[in-house]
Amino acid sequence: MRAYLSVFRMRLKMELQYRGAMLGGIICQMFFGIVLVALYNALYESKAQVMPIEQVSTYVWLQQAFFRMMVATDQDLYDKVKTGNISYDLCRPVNMYWFYYTRIAAQKLMGSLMRGIPMLIVAFLLPKGWGLTLPHSIPGLLSGLAALFFGLLCMCALENITMAFSMRTLDPRGMASLLSLLMVTFSGNLLPLTLFPDSWQKVITLTPYAQLLDAPIRLYSGEYPVSDLPVILLRQAVWAVILILLGIWFWKKNQKKMIIQGG
Amino acid sequence: MNILNTFHLYVRSMGMLLKSHLQYPASFIMQTLAQLVMEGGEMLAVILVVDRFETLMHWTGGNLFFFFGLMSVSFYITEFFGRGVTGNFPSMVRTGQLDTLLLRPRAVLTQVLCSGTDPRRITCIAVGVAALIVGSNMSDVTWSVPKVLALVESILMSGMLILGLFLIEGIFCIHSVKSVELVNAITYGGRSACQYPIDIYPRPLKILFTVVAPFALTMHVPAAYILGKPLYGWPVWTVFVTPLSGAVVFTVMTLLFNRGIKFYRSTGS
Repeated sequence: MRAYLSVFRMRLKMELQYRGAMLGGIICQMFFGIVLVALYNALYESKAQVMPIEQVSTYVWLQQAFFRMMVATDQDLYDKVKTGNISYDLCRPVNMYWFYYTRIAAQKLMGSLMRGIPMLIVAFLLPKGWGLTLPHSIPGLLSGLAALFFGLLCMCALENITMAFSMRTLDPRGMASLLSLLMVTFSGNLLPLTLFPDSWQKVITLTPYAQLLDAPIRLYSGEYPVSDLPVILLRQAVWAVILILLGIWFWKKNQKKMIIQGG
Repeated sequence: MNILNTFHLYVRSMGMLLKSHLQYPASFIMQTLAQLVMEGGEMLAVILVVDRFETLMHWTGGNLFFFFGLMSVSFYITEFFGRGVTGNFPSMVRTGQLDTLLLRPRAVLTQVLCSGTDPRRITCIAVGVAALIVGSNMSDVTWSVPKVLALVESILMSGMLILGLFLIEGIFCIHSVKSVELVNAITYGGRSACQYPIDIYPRPLKILFTVVAPFALTMHVPAAYILGKPLYGWPVWTVFVTPLSGAVVFTVMTLLFNRGIKFYRSTGS
């Protein structure tokens, strides 16, 4: 356990090093946020929806702020597979799956906090209808944070499944980008899930992708009442367990017939 | 003669690069499919927006598909043929690979253009073409010779504009070695923003995409004319003049790029 904790701490510090890249990332993400919010404002002018525009803007900003949590991947592992250096990891007296799970968790957590917090502060200062609104209530905020934690667990598990595919082939870009696209579309980044057709929402909110950021955001904005929290957390936890088990199974299988590159 | 020769060189390079891409058919097919899903996802977002909101100010759903299609076709044709500029260049600077280009008796930019292609984008272009057809059918466009010319000019000029904007990244890259993500805001950000017509955006964004990165001039002015709803009520001749701004941006950036190359310091050993 101690080994994993120190890996986690090390990766947190490591991620803190890249402050220059962070600033560029923030400005880029802010720009995308502003474009999306401008688009939804124009759409609302044509035809207002049941869901108020403030809620849509809040949704967009929270998605943009935590975008990094969703897409950050462990480039080192990818390179290790390619160069054959993965053999060193096989020698380590730790479980490889959890070793990389902790690494990616730290990377996603620190990466998104560093970018997300400054972004949310700026977004909060934007005018009404364009910026981030306050959470629906204090319990709403707290339950949103709890759901975000479980969402992070799901995200890391999904990431490790994607990584499992990279271990199989040397050129994993096809599969990796396919999986990340599914994620971007069905997690609400491309279009808020709340704006998907109402009939789709019953199904879509049950998928693992909706557990990542959509569920926490809906708790934050009060669209899911706090009383639903146990059900939501249970759903997230079930998905996290399924995805982690799937990942572990996949990694074990890979480790048995891993081909080490290099010479 | 020289231009013809350069063009010949480019076609030869493209042929070889295509062959090399097809050496790993499974991976190639997988990635091409991934591209299809990606662009399909973007298209799905527009379809869902149209399904929920029906219109965007005075633009109908069909109009929106047309704008989306025009952006996809222009952007991905550029990525298909100009991958050297849109993708490879930063890594060429970082690894010092650019040195070899400086030694050869050809312009650096020509060689960069000859260095990469991205045939996987073919599926994105297909989605864009489908969106254009659906959009023009839904908007009841009656096609005529000037309209076809406007569309072709728009795609060509938008392509030059996009290449020009990616060159900005290249110029920064020559000076700072590291690729500057920030420029993505204007290239990929421009793609996201300008797949919807410009006049829905607030003034600062309008200025940005008309004056700085004139997507509005190369795409939205001709597209609005084709759809029979001239942008800002501008006269017809503007449809054929404003897209030339794409060529202007490309020329200016090429000049700056060639100047920038003079300051290039190799990272290689």
